[in-house]
Amino acid sequence: MAAKTKNIFTDYDRNPKLFDEIYNQQGKVTKVYRKLLKLYGKHSINDYYDLNSRAKASFYNQGITFRVYGDDKTNEKIFPFDLFPRIIGAEEWDHIEKGVIQRCKALNAFLWDLYHEQHILKEGIVPVDLITSSANYLDQMKGLDPPGGIYNHISGTDLIRHTDGHFYVLEDNIRCPSGVSYVLSNRTALKRALFGVFNHYNAHTVTNYAENLLDLLETVKPHGVDAPTTVVLTPGMYNSAFYEHSYLAKTMGVELVEGRDLFVENDFVYMKTIHGPEKVDVIYRRIDDLFMDPLEFRKDSALGVPGLFAAYRKGNVTIANAPGTGVADDKAVYTYMPEIIRYYLGEDPILRNVPTYHCSRPEELEYVLEHVRELVIKPVDEAGGYGISIGNTLSDAEVETVRNTVKEHPRKYVAQPIMSLSVHPTYIEETQSFEQRHVDLRTFTVLGPDREFVLKGGLTRVALRRGNLVVNSSQGGGSKDTWVLKKDDDHAG
Amino acid sequence: MAETYTIRYQAENTYEHPVIEATWQFLIVPEENETQTGVEIRFENSAGAPWELSTNGFGFAALRVRNRYALQQIRFEASFRLTKTPVNPFDFQGQPPPLFDPETLGELPFRIAFATFLKETPLTCLPKDAEAFCLQPGAGLLENLQALNTWVYQTLQYTPGVTHVGTTLKEILDMRKGVCQDFSHLFIGIARRYGVPARYVSGYLHQGRGFFGDAQMHAWAEAWLPGLGWVGFDPTNNLLAATDHIKVAHGRDYEDCAPIKGILFGPGSNESRHAVEVQSQQ
Repeated sequence: MAAKTKNIFTDYDRNPKLFDEIYNQQGKVTKVYRKLLKLYGKHSINDYYDLNSRAKASFYNQGITFRVYGDDKTNEKIFPFDLFPRIIGAEEWDHIEKGVIQRCKALNAFLWDLYHEQHILKEGIVPVDLITSSANYLDQMKGLDPPGGIYNHISGTDLIRHTDGHFYVLEDNIRCPSGVSYVLSNRTALKRALFGVFNHYNAHTVTNYAENLLDLLETVKPHGVDAPTTVVLTPGMYNSAFYEHSYLAKTMGVELVEGRDLFVENDFVYMKTIHGPEKVDVIYRRIDDLFMDPLEFRKDSALGVPGLFAAYRKGNVTIANAPGTGVADDKAVYTYMPEIIRYYLGEDPILRNVPTYHCSRPEELEYVLEHVRELVIKPVDEAGGYGISIGNTLSDAEVETVRNTVKEHPRKYVAQPIMSLSVHPTYIEETQSFEQRHVDLRTFTVLGPDREFVLKGGLTRVALRRGNLVVNSSQGGGSKDTWVLKKDDDHAG
Repeated sequence: MAETYTIRYQAENTYEHPVIEATWQFLIVPEENETQTGVEIRFENSAGAPWELSTNGFGFAALRVRNRYALQQIRFEASFRLTKTPVNPFDFQGQPPPLFDPETLGELPFRIAFATFLKETPLTCLPKDAEAFCLQPGAGLLENLQALNTWVYQTLQYTPGVTHVGTTLKEILDMRKGVCQDFSHLFIGIARRYGVPARYVSGYLHQGRGFFGDAQMHAWAEAWLPGLGWVGFDPTNNLLAATDHIKVAHGRDYEDCAPIKGILFGPGSNESRHAVEVQSQQ
């Protein structure tokens, strides 16, 4: 059979207009991938098909799944995993790592300021209305000092690589960013399927995430606590990221709890155990601010713990991320990130920001309304890729709808030029071949008063539909194992 | 001259099905402040459930009860004593009374300092086209707000039972009826529209003087006057809140000040009754 002998990249259709991570403009293989292609080159596409099926079965069997909202509640999906890894060289990674740490520190300083002196608002650098009109600004947090002075303990920074080859930050996620468990299970799956290949590279481990997270959480324990008891607080098994919550609890060696497993007495938090109540000192919460405590926020929340906020206020429990961080990862705030970094750190931003138009500003609104087709229009307060309109994919009627919606609620929308995400060869089951698919990169940063840790790896998300630019898993995306090479890796071979 | 007040607060909750592990929070303790001192608290409940003194998210004293055994009915009884010094809302301490000056109120540092009490909330959001009282620039701010107080008092008819805790200003203006929280929300909504910081106050009103709203917890508003600070306005009674008003808590609107919150899960309906008594001795 001809297919048996066909090299896996023989039919790779390279669109020269796109930034391919593996082939440069001249069609030459990028340095870090040369060895990989040599190794893969020994195999046929059929070998790859077998490998892919086996990896898929392993994901099902391990229960590594996610849920899509709006679908039937019982509908669990596996996160499609692509066996062709993404490789990032040491130097390039160094730049990314410095850049995301810089952003996370700036965001933390920004949050401290917003909930204390508000210098940045007083000096008019960030408009006060942007903050006070945000549903994510918690007045209750004003004047409170979170333990260690840290708000965004865990950040997920989304990066893309544009056609110009530069990395841009697309979003800072500092509420409850998810995806890190996929990084770890992708690595496991890849090593299982392709250990022979992985072993040829000297890539950083990703399995140290949980220990770093736990170390950090323990450094921000409440005052006066010696050996803190830490828990992961989940909304429960119907949450789209429940697998991750249980994974993190398991790998950190701490309890996974739901709101109903905790109670508050005399402003201390306790967990119900078969041995009686056990005091809880640090909560890594994976539920949103407004669902945390029905006495203080949404009273219909069955997910939270009555009295939790009072315990936090007293300094008797640490909540990570701190309540009220959502105000700083608002998409409208994103556009001020370069100014925010300069203001608090006195440094120029290391990573680029995508230029953004605020529909709340009349002259920018006008531009947006006239150029819908060239722009991505995003709601400022939705996560997970919901409510995004990509101008060049819309029908005339849809453009009109977008215009009207934006005109009606200008504060709710921002617009950005359509960035062309870089592409990466991805195995497509329907055609049984490798095709170019758009990818982004979510990095995971852990920030403490005396430390910062960026997971050397990250979640490369793939938009599986051809031409699609939205890579969120809830929108039908897949993912790839992401290798960050050590400085001494001899990858030139 | 200082007066000693005794306040009794009673609540009785009845549930269709037994509830267990419910949490109740009461925001009913008089605030300790310049004019209210020596607050003493007594609190008990018919279930003998332990209670604790904690705070709400804005630092006001909150009483919290969590039951460990199933119950279908629970009674709460609180009593408070405190000393109140009368305040003179017209004491400008030698300063000229402030004028209503939109420009000063619009200055950035001022808007930032009072942002919490200037922003619209779902309960204080005034419909854009609502025909409502207009503040007169150039006239005294206190006079303006007193006129607003009177306007709200005259516009709405005090009518228990027609509104609920989620009634919006649009509905209130359509009906022209409501109770103290509706009067207060309307006052606050209009003051904020003109850039005057205003907050919702929950508390008790001295009984036996023929005021509206004295058998329940009462609500009024406080507005910030440059040079004077927060001044209380009671639009339900067309009064300035002075000696007869005992403050418990303030917030952005009713939501921040709900006197009782019960968190329980399970099917079935419940019923809640409250009573308040306030007495004073000189």
